[in-house]
Amino acid sequence: MRKMEKVFISKLKPFLDAVAEQMDIYVPKKSGQHYVFSRYDPSASSEVEFNNIRACMPVKEFLFPLRELAAVFPESLEPEDIKPFAVFGLKDCDLRSIEILDKVFLEDEFEDPFYVARRQKMFIISSDCFEPGESCFCNVLDGQPYAESGFDLNVSQVKNGFIVEADSQKGRDFLDKNSNLFTEVPESALNERDKIRAETKKKLQENNAELKFDATIRDIMTETQDCDVYDEEAKTCVECQACTRVCPTCHCFYLYDTKQKDYFGKMKMWDSCMRLTYAQVAGGANPRKVLGERLKHRLMHKLAYFFDRYGVNMCVGCGRCVDAEAGDIDIRRVLKKLNQELKGKGRKEAKATK
Amino acid sequence: MNRNLYQPVNGEITEVIDESPTIKTFVVVPEEKMKFKTGQFVELTLPGEGEAPFTPSSSPAVTDQMDITIMKAGRMTGQLHSCRKGQKVGIRGPYGNGYPIDDFVGKEIYIVGGGVGLAPIRSLFLTLVDRIKDFETVVCRYGAKTPEDFIYKNTLFGSWQKIDGVDLRLTVDKANGQWKDNVGVVTTILKPDDVDIKNAAAVVCGPPIMMKFATLKLLEFGFAAKDIYLSMEKNMSCGFGKCGHCMIGKYYVCKDGPVFTYEQIKDYPNIWD
Repeated sequence: MRKMEKVFISKLKPFLDAVAEQMDIYVPKKSGQHYVFSRYDPSASSEVEFNNIRACMPVKEFLFPLRELAAVFPESLEPEDIKPFAVFGLKDCDLRSIEILDKVFLEDEFEDPFYVARRQKMFIISSDCFEPGESCFCNVLDGQPYAESGFDLNVSQVKNGFIVEADSQKGRDFLDKNSNLFTEVPESALNERDKIRAETKKKLQENNAELKFDATIRDIMTETQDCDVYDEEAKTCVECQACTRVCPTCHCFYLYDTKQKDYFGKMKMWDSCMRLTYAQVAGGANPRKVLGERLKHRLMHKLAYFFDRYGVNMCVGCGRCVDAEAGDIDIRRVLKKLNQELKGKGRKEAKATK
Repeated sequence: MNRNLYQPVNGEITEVIDESPTIKTFVVVPEEKMKFKTGQFVELTLPGEGEAPFTPSSSPAVTDQMDITIMKAGRMTGQLHSCRKGQKVGIRGPYGNGYPIDDFVGKEIYIVGGGVGLAPIRSLFLTLVDRIKDFETVVCRYGAKTPEDFIYKNTLFGSWQKIDGVDLRLTVDKANGQWKDNVGVVTTILKPDDVDIKNAAAVVCGPPIMMKFATLKLLEFGFAAKDIYLSMEKNMSCGFGKCGHCMIGKYYVCKDGPVFTYEQIKDYPNIWD
């Protein structure tokens, strides 16, 4: 029998309950203006909200926690036994951020065992966006407001219910096992979904109509390294490091050693390249003492260095950094300015060759 | 599942040698044999205190122990300096690329070192000397602040001076006592005819300012940027290209280096800082 690929359900609760029977599931919950993930309680009477936009916190929290014990002395440490868990409400930008983290932490000879343990146990349930935020610009970075791959299950909301689609063996197995919950997808629902997707995409494009570039982002970044834009932009930065915290692809970490009562531990904790002493060595040498240099390095890493290494940008255009930071650095504005620099440079060079 | 990358191999310091007022060599014996290529580095953990990267200064031919020469430069190295024989340590690695010895075959090797930069160079030097016939010649120029600041004094002024195929010259920034040789930074003893530049590979290791000016001097002599090998010192923490602290442009010094040709990194910002 052919495994189920696409099904329909009129309410979310029975679907989430079925997942919760198998594993812990984290669902979006509105907190202020944003969504955060919290553990789903099947006994609660209120319906889970379908998040129209990505959650505030990045998906990396589930795979690469803020702080974890990485090694123990003198006895060695086995990674803890991670139980399967599911996250509902991830967006296409989140899935693409996982792809990026995979490139780093699943690298052949240097697999991070803690990341692997969580990654293998994570059941990814994504959902379509239908109300892109003011800061969303995924369309500029090859993204879109709905996922077509990289999920176990994807949920698309339509007027009378939800289309649930599988893109992995785990996802298809789930649909098969719970086939009694679902019905066949009505043709009208699929049409409706296509319409919503197209409209949302259009909205995004309209929101970001001004973000037009004269070269690839990688080339813009590489060609304009010597300009003053970074120093100018860094003027409002208060070094809160929120940009790197909420960024779903920032993965820098800091290793430090601790003394506990009966063991020594090596801890691994998120770090930020915007921090003054981040690259400092013993003796005090520091290649990025100036804030503008640190901002440049962060953006160059995302949009040029990572691309040169792995062939993809390390920015998914989720806009979290734009929302989060206490200063006024908007990565979109920086890109616009750099594009202007590139155009100016092109004109200057053309003049010079005349 | 793969071995936990973050878990060091347990080891012990079995000897501490005072080299200079600020530099000591620690002989470390890991519980498991540790093979390394000359120029690669290890992360040395002082349990409960911290971890820092060092390039072993001993020959890679010795695998049951390694010498790690450390200058007191900050918090972690200060604590290491107070360690004695018997101290338990952890060692992760080896990491990075090391010196491309096979590419050096048939060439004149021009080594320029300064201060504690002699530590990785000693490992390289021992490796080259082991197969000295494979190389046209090994020319070594090394400088220290004062005569007291030389490290590996016994061999530096003893057996290393008498090896066939090796031309070694020393200098100090500031002379005192019995010093009769050159006074001046190491670049003052670099001469355009020290080696046949067309068939030479230069290896530079030392404090950043010395590496910068030595590199500029070599370029002035006509060395191609691709023939100048630099052992870069950055904040290598994880050792395998993930934590980000040691990046120079797209490179992770810990994984793609620590040995780079000047050609590879010359266009990135602030490489000497």
